[in-house]
Amino acid sequence: MNERIALTGTGVLTAAGAGAGPLFEVMAAGQTLLGTWPGRSGKPLPWPTSLIDPGQAPWPSGPPWNSVRKYANPTAHIAVSTALQAVAAAGLAGDFDALRGGIVMAVSSSGGDELSDLMPRLAVAAQTDARSLPRFLYDEVPDYSYIRGIPSQLGQFAAMASGFSGSNVAVYGEAGAGGLGALALAHRLIGSGELDAVLVIGVAGQLSVSNLAALDQQDGLAEKALPGCGPFDAGRAGVLAGQGAAALMVERESTARSRGADIAAFVDSCEVLAAATRRQALDLAVGTALGSMPAPAGLWWASACGSVPADLEEYEVVSRHLTVQATSSKGTIGTAFEASALIDIALSAQALARQETPPVGLLAVPDTQMTDLDAVTGGCRPADGLAGVLVTALSHGDSSGAAGAAGISKGTGA
Amino acid sequence: MNSRDGMQIVISGLGVVTPIGASVEEFWASNLTGRSGIRTEDRMDLSELPCGWMAGLIPEPDKEAVRARWGADGRSWGDCLLHAAVDQAVSDARLGGAPDGPAGLVWARVWPGPSGSEPADYVRHFADLAGRYQALGDDPVAVARYLHDKPLPLETVDLSRFPSELAETLGMPLIATRLEATCAGGLRAIAEAARLLRSGKVGMAIVAASVSRNTPYVLSQYGQLMALSRWTGPAAQASMPFDRRRSGMVINESAGALVLETAAHAASRGLAQVYGRVAGWGLAVGTDHMTAPNVSAVERVMRTALDQAGLQPGSVDTVNAHGTSTKLNDVTEARAMRRLFGERMADLPVCAVKSLTGHGSAASGVVETAVAALTMCSGIVPPVVTCTEPDPACGVNISLTPVEMPVRRVLKNSFGFGGQYASMVFERADNPRIIPPVAMTGA
Repeated sequence: MNERIALTGTGVLTAAGAGAGPLFEVMAAGQTLLGTWPGRSGKPLPWPTSLIDPGQAPWPSGPPWNSVRKYANPTAHIAVSTALQAVAAAGLAGDFDALRGGIVMAVSSSGGDELSDLMPRLAVAAQTDARSLPRFLYDEVPDYSYIRGIPSQLGQFAAMASGFSGSNVAVYGEAGAGGLGALALAHRLIGSGELDAVLVIGVAGQLSVSNLAALDQQDGLAEKALPGCGPFDAGRAGVLAGQGAAALMVERESTARSRGADIAAFVDSCEVLAAATRRQALDLAVGTALGSMPAPAGLWWASACGSVPADLEEYEVVSRHLTVQATSSKGTIGTAFEASALIDIALSAQALARQETPPVGLLAVPDTQMTDLDAVTGGCRPADGLAGVLVTALSHGDSSGAAGAAGISKGTGA
Repeated sequence: MNSRDGMQIVISGLGVVTPIGASVEEFWASNLTGRSGIRTEDRMDLSELPCGWMAGLIPEPDKEAVRARWGADGRSWGDCLLHAAVDQAVSDARLGGAPDGPAGLVWARVWPGPSGSEPADYVRHFADLAGRYQALGDDPVAVARYLHDKPLPLETVDLSRFPSELAETLGMPLIATRLEATCAGGLRAIAEAARLLRSGKVGMAIVAASVSRNTPYVLSQYGQLMALSRWTGPAAQASMPFDRRRSGMVINESAGALVLETAAHAASRGLAQVYGRVAGWGLAVGTDHMTAPNVSAVERVMRTALDQAGLQPGSVDTVNAHGTSTKLNDVTEARAMRRLFGERMADLPVCAVKSLTGHGSAASGVVETAVAALTMCSGIVPPVVTCTEPDPACGVNISLTPVEMPVRRVLKNSFGFGGQYASMVFERADNPRIIPPVAMTGA
């Protein structure tokens, strides 16, 4: 099957609100949404983050949503809200063959996150409780919290939101390199002829102290989010992290055209590789992505998130393949882990449509080791004739060797 | 397009680490002799739970062997199991020689919670949580400072070096995907690997899955769902798919791995004999209930699998059932099979591997596919020795002894929470692997 894969609808939920457009505007204005915000305990986290306003992710009302709400944790609320955005944007009507549509989630288990505030209190209570520990947990842990955290559960909600019943699978955790693993899987599901449309959803909904502490040990999180701390900056000092979610409706081109859908962009290639080193994996992924694009990439939408070694590694690999203007969303919202590359693809579609590139947030002085880097700073830069974007993603973790790349091309409209 | 029109995908290597065997030979012998790996879970006090007192546990000597060979700093137990199973499968497939490009890796490792896989891991984690809270309260800054220099369990954020380590071992990059599809994850991984092979991007793909999560937390949560066995008799009888006394599933720890290749790839490296072919699959998501299976959805994925394989129900010789031993799953699966096979149900042999191993979530689909492959090669359908009082409401054809018969095609099912449904058809190879006979004693 040589048909192209069309992007016909996006949903985005970040600290900028709902939609890719508002986030693009915040980037264009050179603002950052990263800051020191209260965690769920009401006290500030020690790392700057960006947070989704829960009010932006209301649970749908009416049947069948009311009866299943007990199975939905905050991450599910965000996933459903983002999915509904993408479905609406794609203009999918009820006559779409449900069996020809599927769901691919990019998410990790969120059960631990939900309980991260409760469990320490329970642990103290258990010390003087006469019940056995299994019985204590059986009685005290809220009902359904275990299955609420299962990625497949989120996918089932996404299936409800889209009406798709052909497939539900999650590409789990950071091995999926920011969601590109999920998009690659969707690409194959459509390319094989098995499905006509797939809703790909990435969610990084909860930032618990223990999870962030573990990532801090692995990669080193940034302790401040000020100008000069951004991606590619000479003064960057750690990974910037935040909440975020994105949903991409991808379809076989002929399916999209047959129903008169607007084609926002094409996903010409997408793959995640693992190798002995992440550098090797990224090199292969970038080479594959660029080789599959019908027009040269005029913009590199980087994974760059403020990590001292990872940003440099990414630059060194990509600069061997192309030298074009570059940007990153991470100085604005931080990395949203499993969702980050999917957010970046939604933003890339915006850049292709607007023919301009937003600047890298918090980037003041580019790293002098990145001699060929053409990072956009200050304000939006015109990108007349922009036809293709290279999106890259690196997995987190100090020894992870997974990286991905996607080639995104300009859409054709209806 | 069905599989007869397209690229053929063959199974060329198997690997297992299970409660009934840490090698394919031992595992297969246990399947045929009915040796159970289920025992009372006595590593923690489960007496106050309303269910779930039994577990399918890998015998300690086998665990020790895995730890000795695969244990390493920064490697979780789940990853050790993955390495052990993959090493067997790669060796079994006789992979070697110069790498011929990227390979595929589709894998699953069931999250054991934030603590590690052993009951003691969770007790330690919980005690640490208590101490931390008593000392620091819920001040994120203080907690972060406390955690900064403290080695955190790998499971906290569930990262893994497994794909990179395997890429290094094999000497080739991997198009790697870590999947989650609850208890259908194993079959789902096989389907994704087969699809990747058919895309032409790789000639060989490894499928691997592991689970080990018998902790107080996980058992308490499955207990809340009342999904676990309430059997109080001999442990070996606790998992009894399709038996009228069945009362729930028995969680296990296990791992499985397969090597899949295009037939052309296997031929190009001179591999004459393989275990079988992946002929077709059906996948679906149901939204009518969060945990309960649906007869129509089960029927649909079985029909889709057959359609994709270009086959009719009459060409299936045996069913390798999901068979979890829960009241609802087994009767739902049986009713769907009846819709598909009609009167043939009375004569169609059905096996249910979980009767001996317990339920290993995503790993089960891979481990049980190994049984399907061995069934085709040997012409023996394993018994279900715990189904001594068949449930007439299920009405499946279960044998208490191995059934010797020509097996050309096996239909295999897996279902899971989150509305997950998967079914797959495997076909006997033209030149199947020779399986050494098993001494039929010790049952």
